[in-house]
Parts: sequence; C-alpha cells; structure tokens
Amino acid sequence: MSVVHHPDITTLMAFSAGTLDEPYALVISTHLAMCAACREQIKRIDLIGGALLDAEEEVPVEDDAVDRLFARLDTPKEAGDTINVIPKVRDVPAPLVRYLPDGLDAAPWKARGGGVWTCDLPVSANAQSRLMLLKVGAGRAVPEHGHGGHELTLILKGAYKDRFGRFGPGDIADHDQDVDHQPIAEMGEDCICLVAVDAKLNFRSRIMKLLQPFIGM
Amino acid sequence: MYAVVMSDTTPQPAHGTAPIVDPAELLSRIAEQKDRQALAELFRLLAPRLKSMMLKLGADSALAEDLVQETLLAVWRKAHLYSPERGAPVTWIFTIARNLRIDQLRRLSNKPYEDLDGIDATDDTPTGLQVVEQQQMVSRVKSALETLPDDQRQVVKLSFLNDMTHSDISAALGIPLGTVKSRLRLAYGRLRPVLEDLQ
Repeated sequence: MSVVHHPDITTLMAFSAGTLDEPYALVISTHLAMCAACREQIKRIDLIGGALLDAEEEVPVEDDAVDRLFARLDTPKEAGDTINVIPKVRDVPAPLVRYLPDGLDAAPWKARGGGVWTCDLPVSANAQSRLMLLKVGAGRAVPEHGHGGHELTLILKGAYKDRFGRFGPGDIADHDQDVDHQPIAEMGEDCICLVAVDAKLNFRSRIMKLLQPFIGM
Repeated sequence: MYAVVMSDTTPQPAHGTAPIVDPAELLSRIAEQKDRQALAELFRLLAPRLKSMMLKLGADSALAEDLVQETLLAVWRKAHLYSPERGAPVTWIFTIARNLRIDQLRRLSNKPYEDLDGIDATDDTPTGLQVVEQQQMVSRVKSALETLPDDQRQVVKLSFLNDMTHSDISAALGIPLGTVKSRLRLAYGRLRPVLEDLQ
C-alpha cells in the first residue's frame, strides 16, 4: 500500500502522548496499521516519552509499596496481557475490527442524500467526539463544507480528490477548523472513509452555513 | 540512572552507590522466570520517577502510588511482550503508563493502542537496534530535550507528562491552539536529527 498523505506531526505527537480523544486515537491507530512509515515514526516519537520519564525527578514511594505490589502478583490474568488476537474481517484493518466487527458491508448505513451515507460507530461514554464512517458514491461530490474543529479522515476503500490532492486507501486528511474543501469520489468505486470529528460535521451549502445560527442545526 | 552497558555477568554494587542494574535484563528475568526479585529491582529503579509523573496528572499521593502499582503490575504481566524492537525498557514502560492513564483517568478505551501490538510484533521492518543502543538513544534524546528553548520544552512536557491535550495547553498558557502546535512542530524539528538516528 503506498500511502501519500500522513497525519500532521503534532497529531502523531498527541497520539504518542496519549492525549487524543478515542475517535481520533482510533483513526490514527487504523492509519498506523496501514502505514509502515508512520509506525516507524511513532517509535521515534515514543522516545520523547521514554526520555522524559527517564529524566523525571525521583519522588519517594511508600515503604511498603513493593510488598503491596507482591501481594497483587497472583491475581488472574487480564485482557491485554497477551497480544490481542484480532479476527480477520475483510476490508477492516485490525484496530477497527472491535468497532466494526461485521465488516463494512454490514454497517448500518444511513442515507444522507446526494449519494452520501454515514454510520456512527460506538465509542466509550467519556469520548467527547464522534467516530463515523462516511461513504460517498462513485463519482459523487460531498457538498463543500467547513469543519467545526479538528477532523481526521482516513480512506479505507476507493479514493477521492479535493484541492489537497488524491486520497486513496491508507491516506489520511488531517484538517483543522479553518479548512474548506469539496471532496469528489473517483469513478468506479464508492469511497469509504473513517472519520473523527469533534463537532457535528455539517454538510452544508454556503447559505446553510449562514442560516445555521438561526435554525439551530 | 541505569547503566547503558550490558553485562553478561551479574551486576555488582559499586562502592557506596546503587547497584548497577540493566532494566532489559530485569524484564527478561520477569518474562522467563517470573523473578520477583527482578520486579523489586525494576520497581526501585523506576517507581520514584513514575510517581513523579503520576503526580503531574493532578493525582494526590495515594492515587499516584496506586497508578505506579498498576503500571508495575502491568509490566509484570506483559514482560513477555517486550522486545528491543519496541525501544528501551523505559520507553516501553512509558507507553504502558500512558495506556493506563487513558484507561483509568480518561476512562477511554486504550484498545486502539493495544490492538496495534500484534502488528508491531510481526512488523517486517525491525530497527535492528540492540537494547544497549536503544538506551543510548534515550540518553541522547534526554540531552536534546534539555537544549530546547523553554517555551518548546514546556509544551512537550505538558503533553507527554501532564497528559494535557493541545487545547488544554492552549487554555492553561493563554496562547492560541495554533501556537501550541507550532511550538510542538519546532520542538520536533529540533529533536529530529537525534530521533531519526533510530534508522
């Protein structure tokens, strides 16, 4: 897979630091599953956390800390103690399987009109943002839209073009809120993307954008 | 500080100083023999630093102690998953502490991180670096971090150690989000020559 568009370095740094909200972390993790170059990049960035921990000052721990730890060693194993065995699901990279166990075709798509479908994926109750699939019919355009905040879009299948170039499988569009764009799916295949948004993504015309404050969209 | 030189003999305490221990060897003793003494040594080596990190999350001393316990317990259970390909032991332990933070403090799933482990384990592009080189890398990155301008080092530390989102940092420092990101970008640019030596 030849990935051309990668996440912004600051997004990868936030992933390594562990501060991304779950939908964003999942989109990055899924990209990493598809992009060997970024897996190497993350190993480099992880060194920052390692070096900072290494450089931390030492705060004394309580005297009985080791004994308390020893007392807990015989508790049963937990999930994550071994490498997670993830079932293979067609068209679904490993980290996404948990969120989409039955595959892309079985996703409960909702038609949004104009050859666009969306499907919300469940995330932890504490998540502050949305994780969703977006399907754009072959040759169809997503209405021009702005972004309510940081938006990550990972192409899973098919491809689209916008003013930033061509985005195919594994490519990621890492956009801040000041970006307007109009993706058009390539002919021949529906384009399916995994999207994290921190505000409701509105498909809107320029006029709808103006009306939005009045109609409470 | 741990020694960066691996030894095939049992490390002996030097006069008047802490014993020289190699954390990678401790991890392998835990993985292969469930050696409790090795865990105790690793605890003595890293728990005080982990506690300092956990205190930066706004945790009180008792919660920080609990999080340190949880981290070392996870190290005990996952030691067999460690390999030098994953970096120096301290780097690997940072990622374990991070995953714990996500689960226990943010109450979010850390599976997006854990589910990548299987891919890393079968990765066809190993770094080929030995633990000793990985530990030298950590030392070099540590020195490089000290040479960053204060405003850049501050945002890096708030992100990696204090677990603050870029928006949190923006609000706490009273600077635009774009400035937080540009400082991080500049910091990465300065660290890059050291970090990319990994290749």
